[in-house]
Parts: sequence; C-alpha cells; structure tokens
Amino acid sequence: MDWSMLADPNILTVLVLQGLVRGAMYALMGIGLSLIFGILGVVNFAHGELFMLGSYVMYLVVGIFGMPFYLGIVAAAGVVFVCGVAIERGLVEQLRRRAGRDWISDSFVLTIGLAVVLQNLAHLAFGSRQYGVAELVAGSVPVGELEISLERLAIFGLACLAVLLLWAFMKFARTGRAIRAAAQNAEAAETLGIDVRNLFTVTFGLGAAFAGVAGALLISIYPASPTVGAEPLLKSFAVVVLGGLGNVSGAIAAGLLLGVLEAFTIFIAADGWQNVLTAYLVILVLLVRPAGLFVLGGKRA
Amino acid sequence: MQASGATAASPAAAPPASEARGAGLRKWAIVKIGLLLLAVVFLPPYFDDRYLTTILISVVFFGILGAIYDLMVGYAGLNNFGFAGVLAIGSYASALCQLNFGTTGWEGLLIGGIAAGAIGLLTGIITLRLRGLYLGLMTFFVGETIRLTISNLPQYTRGTLGLTVAPFENIFGIDFARGADPLNYYYLLLLLGAVIMIFMHWLVRSKAGLVWRALKEDETAARTLRVRATRWKLLNFTIASFLTGVMGSFYAHNLGVLSPLPTEFGVGRTVEVLTVAYVGGRGTLWGSFFAAALLIGIQEYFRGLGAWRLVLFGVLLILVMIFVPKGLARFKRLLL
Repeated sequence: MDWSMLADPNILTVLVLQGLVRGAMYALMGIGLSLIFGILGVVNFAHGELFMLGSYVMYLVVGIFGMPFYLGIVAAAGVVFVCGVAIERGLVEQLRRRAGRDWISDSFVLTIGLAVVLQNLAHLAFGSRQYGVAELVAGSVPVGELEISLERLAIFGLACLAVLLLWAFMKFARTGRAIRAAAQNAEAAETLGIDVRNLFTVTFGLGAAFAGVAGALLISIYPASPTVGAEPLLKSFAVVVLGGLGNVSGAIAAGLLLGVLEAFTIFIAADGWQNVLTAYLVILVLLVRPAGLFVLGGKRA
Repeated sequence: MQASGATAASPAAAPPASEARGAGLRKWAIVKIGLLLLAVVFLPPYFDDRYLTTILISVVFFGILGAIYDLMVGYAGLNNFGFAGVLAIGSYASALCQLNFGTTGWEGLLIGGIAAGAIGLLTGIITLRLRGLYLGLMTFFVGETIRLTISNLPQYTRGTLGLTVAPFENIFGIDFARGADPLNYYYLLLLLGAVIMIFMHWLVRSKAGLVWRALKEDETAARTLRVRATRWKLLNFTIASFLTGVMGSFYAHNLGVLSPLPTEFGVGRTVEVLTVAYVGGRGTLWGSFFAAALLIGIQEYFRGLGAWRLVLFGVLLILVMIFVPKGLARFKRLLL
C-alpha cells in the first residue's frame, strides 16, 4: 500500500465520489428500516427480503417486458408498498394485539420468520439464479484523470430524489405530518383524532416501498436472487444504528459517512474488509453513543 | 347463577382429587419420559441405519443448542442474535489448537468452551448494560464481526475455502475416525447433552435461576431489591457461551470441515437455533428437543419439496409467535 497515493487529489476526489454514491445507496436502504422502527417499534428483519422483491419486480418490468427503467422503479415501489401493507395488517398487527412487554424482540422474531418465508418463496418462484438488468445508463464522465460511470451518478441522483420526496411528504403532506406526530407521541396523536392504526399500516408500507425502490435502483450492482437481501440488510442495520434508531435524517447522514469510509477501506486494505470495518464501527458506536452519531445533546435511548 | 355456584362450591372439595390426579399424571409422565429415554438410547443401534443416525445426531445437536439459547432468552430475557458467532469461536478454537498446537479433540471441547466463554464474557461486559433492543443489535453485529473476521483471515483459518478438522481421537478403544460408525458420535453427543442438560436443569432451579426470572419479569423491581442485575446477566451469558463453545467443538470434529458461511456460522444458523428455542417454548429447556425433532423431521420427510420445507419452517415460527407464544410446551399434556 502506497500511502502517498492518498495525497493525490484525483484519487481522493474519485474515492470521495465513489463513497458518496455508495453512501446514497446505503441511506436509501436504511431509511425504510429507520422509518418503520421509529413509528411502529418493529426492527424489520425482512427488510432485505423487501429489497429482494423490489429487484425482482425491476427485473420483470425492465428485463422481461422491456419497459423503461423508471417505470420499473415506480412498479417496484407500488408492489412492495402493497406487500408492506399486507404484512402489517396480516402479521404485525395480529402480533401487536397479543404482545406485551417483549414487543420489540417478539416482533423482531416474527419478521425473522417472514424473511425465511419470503426468501424461500423467491427460491421456488425464480430458482437460485441471479437475474440482472444491463446498465440503466451507459457511458462515463471523466473526473480529473479517472472516470466515474454515469450509471453510478444516476443512482446517486435518483437516490437523492427519493430521499427528497420522502422529506417533502413528511414535511407537507397531511399523512406525513400525522406520521411525525405519531412518532413523537402515538397516544397524544390518537386523542387528536389521528387514526394511528391506519397510520401504522401506511408507514410500514412506505418503509417497505423504500426497500423496494432501493432493490430496483441497485439491480445492476445487486442482481435479483433469493439471498440478495443479506448484504443490504446488514448495511441498513449499520446505517440505522449509526444514525440513531428511528432517526430518518440521521440514517441519511450515516449512510453517506459509511459509504465514504468504506470506499477508503476498500482502497487501503482490500475488498471484503469494508464489511469488517462496518461491523466494528457499529459496535463502537453502540458502546460510546448508543443514541447514534447525529443526536445532539445526549441520549434518547 | 347455578353454574357459578357450582364452581364456587367445588374448590373446597376439589383439591385432594385434583392433587391425586396430578400425582397420577406425574407418575405417568415419568414412565413416558423413561420410555422415551430408553428409545433414544437403545433404538438407534436396533435400526443401525447411518442415515437415521445422522439425522438423530442433528436433532439432539439442535435440541441442545436450542436449550442453551433458551437458557438466555427464556430464563433471563437475553436475546443473543450473534449466537452462531459464539458457536464459530468454539469450533475454530478447538480446530486451530488441534492443528497448530497438537491438542486433542477431547481437550478441544474444553478449549472451545473456554474460548467461547471468554468471548461471551467480553461481549456481555460491553453489551449487558444496554437494554432490550440494543442488546439484540449489538450481539447481532458481534456475531457478524466474528464471522467476517474469520472469513477475512484465510492465512490462519483458510477462510471460505474451508478448514479441514481431524475427528476425535480414539479413546477407551472406541473408534471415532472418519467413516467409523456414526453411532459412536451419537452416544458421545448424548453423553455431552445429558451433562449439559442436567447442569442447566439444576441451574435454572438454583438461586441463579430465580434471580434471572426476577430480572426478566421486572428488572427495575429486582434492582430495588439490591439485585446486581448486570452481574447476574453476565453469569447467564458467560455460562451459555461456554456451553455453546463446547458444542461448537463437537460440531467441528464431527463435521470435519468448517467454513464461515452465513448458513454455517452466520445469521442463518442463529435463526435455526432461535426457531428451535421459540417453537419449543421459551423457558422450558426440554421443549427444544421436541421442536428440533419436529423441525428436522419436517425437513427430512419433505426433502423432495426443496425450498417448501423452509417456507414451512418460517410459517411455523410466525404461527408460534402470533398464536402459540408458549410454543410446543403448550401441548405437553397431549404427550406426557
């Protein structure tokens, strides 16, 4: 390893850019998980499988029917939203009616069961083969002496757009504002006439849809296969813990930070070690700042 | 009105009768458990079928692991989502010591236990101050860290290429070589399991078991009674990790090849053990064996169904979570 290479501004720029693209992906993966946890208190272990569903929808729409890729993304969002709604009404709510103090670990175990079911249903439907879609956008742009592919830039742009849409929805839409109210205090929101039960369902659907969009958007990097959700799940967990549980904007910041750190790790050590670094980092943050990196003024845990 | 009068009147007369019936049931239960134990010990050589023996080994193995998991989650409310990582430490410690320092597999059982116990203690020290969810997330990442570290150090562990492990050395003239009768491994496992289960059975009925249950029910209340919560949890976590390490060592020498794949020592394995513990019924210890028999039985019986059997696996876990939180133990009366 030649450390002087890190002093080269060209290499630095490319690494940071690569890191930001990677980070935007992680942020997109983590947002849905964070949203669902923030409102429902469910750590959704099936998040990776919702990601997988999104990538299969993308493959069907773009790879098989030959539609333009943005339609694939919209379809993935819609299909996975409906799945999320069905999961919330059919399973999570059934458990909520019966669960007591151990809600968090019980709901976690419930979603573990769900993840096993979804993963193996995909296996039955599509086999273990990987299905990819050729590049969404061809070509690349020069950055100094090196290049960065337009595909990655498009992913970065679309990920930012999705995050921006969520922000606008939460800020201005009536439902979004109700979700934020319920996140602060569900009982108070209920006394003010907000239908919290429906809100839970919509939020779960929304969080699921984000996982689906991530799966669809990243199909060229993570081709659709039954086990494709494993790595996104790990990254989502990392992002959510680093950003603070249930803190959506924290998750975005943590995603970008993690992406850049990983890009440097791959460059300095070797491919594979970035996953080790992520895990150690999460453990460190849980030890030192369990409320997350981006919470000002102390604990919320 | 009449009905309620009858129920109100009956308790006075009922206790002796129901007690006698309870004692009768208990006597029958002991007979049935005895018969079951006899069958477990003496039937396999009668069939003398390698395939059947291999399945029985995996039933007992997962039963023991499920019971160890239950010691944590069912008695102290500690969810260890990095369970497979602890198992990996036991396996690799025993295998690598055998390879590099010439220790025997028998010493490896202890080495694996101590290594895993040490990791458990360390993980416990840094995580057990955290509550509920944070404990779960932390252990999840500790488990993944262990697996990924093993996987990224191929110069020592051969990484995903797989580490070949020698079998247990022959002892008392019993042949444990690869290709020998798997019944020898089966009886070794039964012996290990009996020691571990009797120990845990005693443990959860000792003072420690009482304190753990108190902490699980209401930690704040227990703390006001001057229970040193973190220390007692640490004890539970370390003991469970030690026992897991011993089982990991058995696993290594029985299987003969180790690889840090997610299905072997990652999330997949943890999910399997957790499913066995939850389906068996939390806080029952022995329920795990019935769950392991049921789940592995389903897997083997429906081998032709491929992924469907795993779908069934997941559906069972979901159903248990929603409708039968007490697990199979709820149907104990049907069997015993």
